[in-house]
Amino acid sequence: MARIKAIIVKEFFHILRDPRSLTIVFITPVIMIFILGYSFSFDLNRIDAAVVDFSQSDFSRQLVNSFANNRIFVLHFPAGGTSGKSALRAAEEMLRKEKIKEIIVIPVDFSRRLTVHGQSDFGIIIDASNSNTANLVFQYNEMIVLEFMAEMKKVGQLFKLHTKIYFNPEAKSSFFFIPGQIAAILLMISAMLTSVSIAKERETGSIALLFISPLKSYEIIIGKTIPYIMVALLDGVLTLAFSRFWFGIPIRGSLLVLLIFAVLYIIAGLSLGILISTLAPTQKAAMLAAQILTMLPSYLLSGLIFPIDSLNPVLQAISYAIPATYFLRIIRGVILKGSELKHFLFEGLMLVLLGAVLLLAASRKFSRQRKAVQ
Amino acid sequence: MNQTANAIEVRDLVKIFGRFQAVKGINFNVKQGEILGFLGPNGAGKTTVIKMITGLLKITSGSVLVSGLDTQKHMDLIKKKLGYMSQKFSLYPLLTVLENIEFFGGISGLTRKELREQAARIGAQLPAELLRQRIQALPPGIRQKVALFVCLLPDPEIILLDEPTSGVDPEMRRKFWNEIYQLKKNGKTLLVTTHHLDEAEYCDRVIIIHNGEIVWQGEPAELLQQNRQTSIEELFKEVISKHGQN
Repeated sequence: MARIKAIIVKEFFHILRDPRSLTIVFITPVIMIFILGYSFSFDLNRIDAAVVDFSQSDFSRQLVNSFANNRIFVLHFPAGGTSGKSALRAAEEMLRKEKIKEIIVIPVDFSRRLTVHGQSDFGIIIDASNSNTANLVFQYNEMIVLEFMAEMKKVGQLFKLHTKIYFNPEAKSSFFFIPGQIAAILLMISAMLTSVSIAKERETGSIALLFISPLKSYEIIIGKTIPYIMVALLDGVLTLAFSRFWFGIPIRGSLLVLLIFAVLYIIAGLSLGILISTLAPTQKAAMLAAQILTMLPSYLLSGLIFPIDSLNPVLQAISYAIPATYFLRIIRGVILKGSELKHFLFEGLMLVLLGAVLLLAASRKFSRQRKAVQ
Repeated sequence: MNQTANAIEVRDLVKIFGRFQAVKGINFNVKQGEILGFLGPNGAGKTTVIKMITGLLKITSGSVLVSGLDTQKHMDLIKKKLGYMSQKFSLYPLLTVLENIEFFGGISGLTRKELREQAARIGAQLPAELLRQRIQALPPGIRQKVALFVCLLPDPEIILLDEPTSGVDPEMRRKFWNEIYQLKKNGKTLLVTTHHLDEAEYCDRVIIIHNGEIVWQGEPAELLQQNRQTSIEELFKEVISKHGQN
């Protein structure tokens, strides 16, 4: 414990006294969140929608078919049947978990009102946490409704579409992108912190003194990791505060929930950094490798910009091995939807799994290198 | 262990990097309580040998015994007996002298009490104001002195000093060798590499290494006498040039 404590204290001194470390820790995240906060947009090629049909009539089935016949829409019929309040609750849960992008709700008197009054209405509930997707989803809905109305007009019947927006009523794109960027930045910073720290020890030669000391490899790794968990968490708080007060991003869920998952996510990032440090000969190489290996996958494959289900199958498979894929769902869920711990058990499990795999790989490579290299 | 027991025994030691053979099957002993000087030009293989003794480099073939223990089997036990000051200056420049002492004492497993005692002992040998100064602010001579103190923190039996006086002015070098003598008086065994040829005369025995091979070993006086040279520097040049011609 005293040996680990010695490393922890030394690492803190290094962070606070090294201008390069300070820049990485405090300046880079602010610059990145500022620049990236104003960037990016995306397209849509698939809409998952849940159908809650309280009417269960010929007309309502006709309406559902008009959605089903469109290649963009993939319809889901939530547990509890296609009608009933339990189905609606299940559909809302699917919306919260990002399994669907909208719920089509057909009221119980849909058919009767069409028959008796010649007009009726139905509703859609759209997940607007991604405002661009929400706009596209709405446009596709309008298109289908117009087609369906044209059919209905032939028999002299009309109906009206009601839209309800969940999670981001003002449909601001920054609400979607900024939490994602926090996830990407946090992973990059975490990986950079450990990779550069170890590469620096190697460059200056001080690692030799650690290696010939009685320190076990796991003690070096734990001692190196713990201070950076705290530093990276501080970074997370900094970017989150900046997002909240500069960009006006709402934080609807529990910060504690976010903190718990952030620790798991940061451990995965720090472990990746240690793994990178065993391969990178210099600090510069370590920094570059950490940036490339974290930013590119996070931005392109984790769902930060492009929906994962629109990627090709190979890239989709790769996306499941990226920690940002899971933390992204968590941070967006907590910030925009007020989701709770119970909603992210799978994501949490995957973060633990990925963190453990990366930590194990890093420890083994580091120990092997300690025995054989320099 | 008596005075003539071997603290370090090196047998048929070979190190190959890719196609380059850096150390070519060398044999030597370091006797308990002696100062052995390891001389040679840059690239001769001195540091490679030291790193193999410390376990920092994997041995290609041959063996190294430290206090009778094989480094390839008992490195964890050997680490407790060895003190190592590397050629590359390796204290943490952003930490103060005292913080470096606390750090290296901490990772050596010293208790709080031992650490306090060691810090006080070292502190007594340095001006008090230096203890609170960052390493990066110290002149090279003082840094080397601190590096030596740090390497002595776990109170090792055998001390390996790799080019300890490199980049240090002559006056500080002389003071540094006084420290080394003091360590010998306290019963420590020292293996010191240097390319300052005049320093060979401070050693009990000298080994000259060139191109990964030992070209001469013995006492400095004997070396001078045998070769009828007036200084170790002239002798060194002669030995190296003879070996180079072979």
